[in-house]
Amino acid sequence: MYHIAHQNIVCQLASLFAVVTLLTSILCADQPDLGALEEKAFKEAAAFADPSVVRIQTVGGLDRVGRVLTGTGPTTGVVVSADGYIISSSFNFASRPTSILVQLSDGRQLPAKIVASDKAKMLTLIKIDEKDMTPATAARKDDIKVGQWALAMGRTYDNEIPSVSVGIVSALNRVYGKALQTDAKVSPVNYGGPLVDIRGHAMGVLVPLSTRGSGETAGVEWYDSGIGFAIPMEEVYASLDRLKRGVDLKSGRIGIDLKGRGLLAGEAEINRVRENSPAKAAGLEKGDVIIEADGKKIGRQAELRHALGNKYAGDSLTLVVRRGKEELTKKLILVADLEAYESAFLGILPRRIDLQEAADLQGVGVRYVFTKSAAAEAGLQTRDRIIKFQNEQIEDESQLLDLVGRTRPGEEISIEFLRGDEKKTAKIKLTSIPNQVPADLRTWPIPVPVPSSEDNEDATDGGAEESEKIATGRLQREMAAHEHSYWAYIPEGYNPNHLYGLMVWLHPGGDTMEATIYREWKSICNQRGIIILAPKAENLNGWNLNEADFINAAVGEIQEEYSIDPTRIFLHTFSDGGRMAFHLAFRDRDVYRGVAAVTSPVRVRPEENEADHRLQFHFVVGDQDANLEAVNQSVEGLRQMKYPANLSTVQGGEYRYPPAEQVQEIGRWADALDRI
Amino acid sequence: MRFATLVFLACCLLFDSPAIAQDRQTVIRDTSARVVKIFGAGGIQKLHSYCSGFLVSKQGHVVTVWSHVLDTDSLSIVLDDGRRFEAKVLGAEPQLDLAVLKVDPGIDGLELNLPCFDLKQAIDVTVGTRVMGFSNMFKVAVGDEPVSVLHGVIAARTRLSARRGAFNFPYQGPVYVVDAITNNPGAGGGVLITRSGRLIGMIGKEVRNKHSNTWINYAVPVTEIREPIEQIISGNYETQRRETDEETPGNYKPVDLGLVMVPDVIFRTPAFVDSIIADSLADKAGLMPEDLVLFVNDKLVQSVKMLATEVGALEKGDTVTMIVRRGEELVTIQMKVDIEQRN
Repeated sequence: MYHIAHQNIVCQLASLFAVVTLLTSILCADQPDLGALEEKAFKEAAAFADPSVVRIQTVGGLDRVGRVLTGTGPTTGVVVSADGYIISSSFNFASRPTSILVQLSDGRQLPAKIVASDKAKMLTLIKIDEKDMTPATAARKDDIKVGQWALAMGRTYDNEIPSVSVGIVSALNRVYGKALQTDAKVSPVNYGGPLVDIRGHAMGVLVPLSTRGSGETAGVEWYDSGIGFAIPMEEVYASLDRLKRGVDLKSGRIGIDLKGRGLLAGEAEINRVRENSPAKAAGLEKGDVIIEADGKKIGRQAELRHALGNKYAGDSLTLVVRRGKEELTKKLILVADLEAYESAFLGILPRRIDLQEAADLQGVGVRYVFTKSAAAEAGLQTRDRIIKFQNEQIEDESQLLDLVGRTRPGEEISIEFLRGDEKKTAKIKLTSIPNQVPADLRTWPIPVPVPSSEDNEDATDGGAEESEKIATGRLQREMAAHEHSYWAYIPEGYNPNHLYGLMVWLHPGGDTMEATIYREWKSICNQRGIIILAPKAENLNGWNLNEADFINAAVGEIQEEYSIDPTRIFLHTFSDGGRMAFHLAFRDRDVYRGVAAVTSPVRVRPEENEADHRLQFHFVVGDQDANLEAVNQSVEGLRQMKYPANLSTVQGGEYRYPPAEQVQEIGRWADALDRI
Repeated sequence: MRFATLVFLACCLLFDSPAIAQDRQTVIRDTSARVVKIFGAGGIQKLHSYCSGFLVSKQGHVVTVWSHVLDTDSLSIVLDDGRRFEAKVLGAEPQLDLAVLKVDPGIDGLELNLPCFDLKQAIDVTVGTRVMGFSNMFKVAVGDEPVSVLHGVIAARTRLSARRGAFNFPYQGPVYVVDAITNNPGAGGGVLITRSGRLIGMIGKEVRNKHSNTWINYAVPVTEIREPIEQIISGNYETQRRETDEETPGNYKPVDLGLVMVPDVIFRTPAFVDSIIADSLADKAGLMPEDLVLFVNDKLVQSVKMLATEVGALEKGDTVTMIVRRGEELVTIQMKVDIEQRN
């Protein structure tokens, strides 16, 4: 049982201020100021919440999870029932400790055991054998307002007095409706502790969260940044009984892909219903538009995601969909896991053309047809232009990729294409994306730019200046803001009217391999239109997780300066550089489209394959290399998750950067990243 | 009744708020005048060549953190009004991360009459107290500009050294942890004051918690360093002998007490008892195989290694208290170490 406070402090304060403004002008007295009263209130709020805040110590376990070192120091928890249940952030148990101890505010130590975790909100419930504890008083979620005081409390520094950081509530319903946001300082010092209001009532439980990742340590990089999250206490209490039963809670899923991309997309029209999913069972169909979820109107896709943010597997969901002129009500029981998403494959590479000409052309030109693909079967040839897929007009390659990506392998579709001026149609069965690199993929030369002659009177001078502005060849740069440097290679004769691929080289620990990479890749880059960006780790011995932001900033800098094809940005790495490469690939999915890893297995937990963010993999390993087995397992695992993953084994190869033949192959793979 | 209270409270609240606002400005102005910018050695390899300090005497004694910046013959100090002085290190106590400088008035015997803090007015505060931090972080203030002001609350008062191994930190005393990002490059030597201008602490260096990989913002309480500062100024301070770091004396090994621990195979092997030697101290005291040793004399033992360190530090005649986890229970065990030491 828990208590919810009904008094509304916001109203109280408001009336206070009204009175104050009235009287200020008339009276005069020597009294404590508002700031001092607030300070007193902070201390009282902390004192009120104090008995419900406990210190947790862990013993044993891993020293790091992914790239994050997990603390061996104490962490914090919040008492949620008198009989010894304590909720905390899953971050605090990410190291899988062998033993957990809870220290009460009176100093006693008690052993605790993990009861269950809420995987959707990254909370873990533990239990100690103790009676008469003081559960936290929950603030009503509906009463929480942006701008009100918020105190983040922890019990890690000192067991006698909990630590306090003061801020305000910055936002409500963050991270798909899951969390409150605060600008109080939130870090490993108080993860698992409460975020309390000015009365000391718990508004939420502090957790690291990220809109991009979902692991136990996702969001830690935002510590002390003014962006902190707390899971609303009312919801913690609401799901407490389920957790007490010892069953982990997971996010509930429907099993649909929506039409269009991104959260700014308009209404929630279903583009694909996943096999064996709750949506399929409920009879949802492609083309249905979701207009209501559990009684809430859904106008945009983002609203649907928010409605689902607080749903667990096993929960029921009532959807109202519009099908043609009908409105249908469907009831679904959500599940935790769906059959993996797999993209279909048409079997072409789109033609790369001058950006200025591109706007006038209709459809997608064919640069290359993959053998044994659906496109080959349909008789497509180089230079044809695809203008219709099913019944949709094709504007450009990103639209075609999106449509193919939302089709399942094995589905039959119709296309319409132009050969010269002749219109042709074909009905074909799409296949899976093949796990091999075409051996015969020819280069696609980019013309050297012609200096424009219209700019000014002195055309030759102007042209020369123009080309001087864009640096080409090998560059060395410092990024002052990040205290890091990188080197880059821009193909000679760089032409800003054409799009280039971008290879982000992540060196292994101990060696930037700058000379090797430059030597092996220079001619491939010139021939296939690829720019190399090679960030350097601050500590040459290896990459630190925190450096991901620097790498992304360097990619951003290159993207701003040069014409980069967003579908051909990939990470290339050797050996232990792979940790960072896979971390980035699965975290920043809106940036990276592929990973080419040499003797480097996947050492992070892969995220699921998604229609919105295509990721392709290419692995190279020597058959005498100690990493062979691990790399094989990675390829197998990724293929099971329905990611395209090539494996190239070097005969007699040991632990080293591969010979030219395999490097050429990586080049072809990279050149085909825009395959559809 | 309730309304009356509200009205009364409200009156208290804002009545003198114009006056308070006035006060706040005075506090900030007065404090800014007492905080100085220090320029010295550095400037290479990402070592900054500047820090902050505060005046504690009219004659120009400046307190700051001990750092590489002071390691030069040409130290200069710039006041908020742009006045610039040469300065010398009068004394330093690396153990406290403390240094006292003295400005050179230029002309012998010249009365400088500089604005300064009265160390005797420094106070101790509690968690939740609102504070302001003054420092020249990132060298934002130049010439006659006053240093930057931040606000926050005291988040905790703690001993950083207590979290063993987490901080590389010479100072053993208590510190204030602040919830504002006070500890930036160049901020060391700045001050933390209450809203009414009382001196609380000296902002420390940039320190990273090696365990959680997070930066920590702290200040050393002035009440902790007041005495050494006064002694350095009066010239009768003697540097404390550096105590040796906690090195394991290695007086005993767990096996001497009869404890055979599980093999130490991973980074943090939990201190599980593998077996107990019959008739040993541990056996008599009631320790059992598969016990997990959690505390030795109130110190949390997180691994076999830490157990070895704690046992190694025992001396003959000590009574050692161990808390072990046996199944779901915590059991407290005491034994008197009456066997011979190894060395």
